[in-house]
Amino acid sequence: MTASVPAFVLRPASGAYRGLNPATKLVIALCEAVVAFGIRGWTGPIAVLAVVLVCGVAARIGRAFIPFLLATIPLTASILLVNTFLYPGATDTIVVLGPLRPTWTGLEVATQATLRVVAFAMSVALLGLTTPFDQLIADLERRGMGRRVAFVVGATLRMVPRVAERAREITDAQRARGLDTQGRAWRRVRGVLPLAGPLVFGALTDVEEQTMALEARGFSAPGGRTVLRTFPDSAAQRSLRWLLAAGTVLALVASIVGALRFLP
Amino acid sequence: MSPAPGMVLPDEAARELGARGGVALATNELGFTYPEGTEALRGVSLEIGAGDLVAIVGQNGSGKSTLVRHFNGLLRATRGSVSVGGEPVDRQHVADLAARVGIVFQNPDRQIFSSRVQAEVAFGARNAGLAGDDVEGRVHACLRLVGLEEQARTNPYDLGYSRRKLLATASVLAMGTPGLVLDEPTTGQDLRGVRLIRALIDLLHEMGRTVIAISHDMRFVAEVFPRVIVMQGGRVVLDGPPETVFAEASWPTLASTYLRPPLAATLGARLGLGSTPTEDRLIGALAQRPPGTSPGEDGSPPPGG
Amino acid sequence: MSLRLAGATYRYAGAGRPALVAVDLEVAAGAVVGVVGANESGKTTLCLVAAGLAPATIGGELTGTVEVDELHTSRQRPHELAQRCGVLFQNPSTQLSGTTGSVWEEIGFGPRNLGLSVEETVHRVDEAMRVVGIAALAERDPARLSGGQAQLVALASVLAMHPRYLILDEPTSQLDPGGTELVGDALADLAQRTGAGVLLVEHKTDLLDRVADRVVVLDAGRIVERGEARSLLGDARLPGWGVDPPARARLERAADAAGVELPEAVA
Repeated sequence: MTASVPAFVLRPASGAYRGLNPATKLVIALCEAVVAFGIRGWTGPIAVLAVVLVCGVAARIGRAFIPFLLATIPLTASILLVNTFLYPGATDTIVVLGPLRPTWTGLEVATQATLRVVAFAMSVALLGLTTPFDQLIADLERRGMGRRVAFVVGATLRMVPRVAERAREITDAQRARGLDTQGRAWRRVRGVLPLAGPLVFGALTDVEEQTMALEARGFSAPGGRTVLRTFPDSAAQRSLRWLLAAGTVLALVASIVGALRFLP
Repeated sequence: MSPAPGMVLPDEAARELGARGGVALATNELGFTYPEGTEALRGVSLEIGAGDLVAIVGQNGSGKSTLVRHFNGLLRATRGSVSVGGEPVDRQHVADLAARVGIVFQNPDRQIFSSRVQAEVAFGARNAGLAGDDVEGRVHACLRLVGLEEQARTNPYDLGYSRRKLLATASVLAMGTPGLVLDEPTTGQDLRGVRLIRALIDLLHEMGRTVIAISHDMRFVAEVFPRVIVMQGGRVVLDGPPETVFAEASWPTLASTYLRPPLAATLGARLGLGSTPTEDRLIGALAQRPPGTSPGEDGSPPPGG
Repeated sequence: MSLRLAGATYRYAGAGRPALVAVDLEVAAGAVVGVVGANESGKTTLCLVAAGLAPATIGGELTGTVEVDELHTSRQRPHELAQRCGVLFQNPSTQLSGTTGSVWEEIGFGPRNLGLSVEETVHRVDEAMRVVGIAALAERDPARLSGGQAQLVALASVLAMHPRYLILDEPTSQLDPGGTELVGDALADLAQRTGAGVLLVEHKTDLLDRVADRVVVLDAGRIVERGEARSLLGDARLPGWGVDPPARARLERAADAAGVELPEAVA
């Protein structure tokens, strides 16, 4: 019996939306982003939100959307405040509160802008929650993106937990030498070099060895890398990608030249 | 043993390396589970007296490093208790405990941040509360002990990895803590480095300090430490002097945890000489064997006479 | 066919003195050659030069020749060299690619770079894991391994390249005694079974005593002695060169000094 690539490496995706080819999901997300910000009026963001909702249900995402929503709050809160209270030239005041004069125009603009931000965030969430990043990179690499870009992206992604782990080890070692990490603020400032130093020097001295190690594993060999995972694609999906891309570009151009003024 | 060249003699050491005396360490049914769920310690009860010299051995993942991190508060027990100097650690900050138990970690590069060897050691000295000329004295004493006094102004990253390990050791030594934990002190060291480490441990023991070493080097352990603790799967499976821990009766336990007794021990057992964990003991036992005994016998008296 | 250095002298970029001086060394196919010496005697430099990484990747000046199977290393591209000479350095964390999510994929990184078929890739990964004894680690995240585990994974990753020559700089430094024995046996077996030539830098002379055919001693960048492993490791001059002799040699000398006869069980 010939051995095959283990399941935990292949990690096949399943489900209505998740099972789509990663490139399809990427194109969908990009089009959603363009539409959310590029089409004038309410139609753009609302259409995107509707699509994301449908896809989200198909992909059974549910509550995982919530952190992405929460992340938009600082931005949307400031948009709402600034526009409602300070929209230039608006005169339809909602209510007078001393020096503050919130206006309906401002509120309307703010709400629309908020919807755009939320629509964008939701489309990012949809992509992020249904498409593991290394799947996306693997598919793009197969389509010709090149191993160096794949390496840089992959290494960057994994860098965060690695650096966090290293930072933990360094903090432990320095605290064990009496570095005060819980005391007064000015003392903790003095601790920056002992904590940052090994992190930076370690990273710099490692680069040369890492480069050699990569070469030793044939990194610069010519030709394509072996593809272990293929993601199902179909003529239908290919057509969909082209249609979406073309349609989005058309809609954007139409919006810019003012041909979509009839939309709310 | 006579001092190695460059080693500071005990009288000067008392002045330059800090106070004499050690610290008692104890655990009671200590359990520790990492946040991700790995249960690294499963009920460890130990007592280490002030001034004791102890080696902790065990395969990768047996809990050795996890255990010692409880002695300076880097990790806090999830079950059971730990005491340092007779007091429970719960009420003591890491900063307080670090002044009582110093740990030299396995990877020196996670610790070294100065651009000069002497500055790195001075950091430890200052954290111990020294100032001015006292710092210089302490720094020179520590550098001499690890054989780096000629490299005082060198950049640590111009030293090789094993010398950086010695530097890390010196900088923790400079804190003058009554307790010291060495994590894999002889790994990657050449003969000179190993001799420096052994001389250092002898000196600290003579000063009454508590010294704990984690090591894979069974010969080093058998020759230097009067007490050996073997850990496996988060528990202590053997605890005693080398004669007991490396005796034939313990071999099945050792084998199950991927350890090997030193050659002297296996030979001594094979030749029927009893437990001979060190080469000196083996040679001594051979010298005492009555002449005419042929090799391979199990210790029964020679035929005739 | 062999890995051969002839009159190799190497100076790091910007260094005053050469780190290697007039080194003549040959690693024949199927041989295990041990390298011993004090720290900073040039052992790591020897590995870099033998693997063709110095000066090609790190700069510096090399005089003399380094040939792998009669091809100059300076005339080969890094990936061609990689398939001929597998090299492993001391620090496991820099040996891993940092881009893979599982040990299985990490070991497969090399074969994939070479564009081997899926079947061949799978075969090489499974084989490497088996030889080094880490099949149980297949799904683990390489970033969260202990030093010893990472060292074993790095070794398996190099073995998966099926190099004709293996250059290993202290590959057992972080391993427990059982792991050390396993790696030693695996290397000896590999040399014998596949004809790979192994250059093995080690402090653990007991290991070399068991698996090496020949040993060379480096001191201040020069080879000061060379010979058949078991006889050279019994040489009384080793401590003078900063090398701790293997246990049996120490015992033999101690027994001589004490006037005691050591039964042949030792040898």
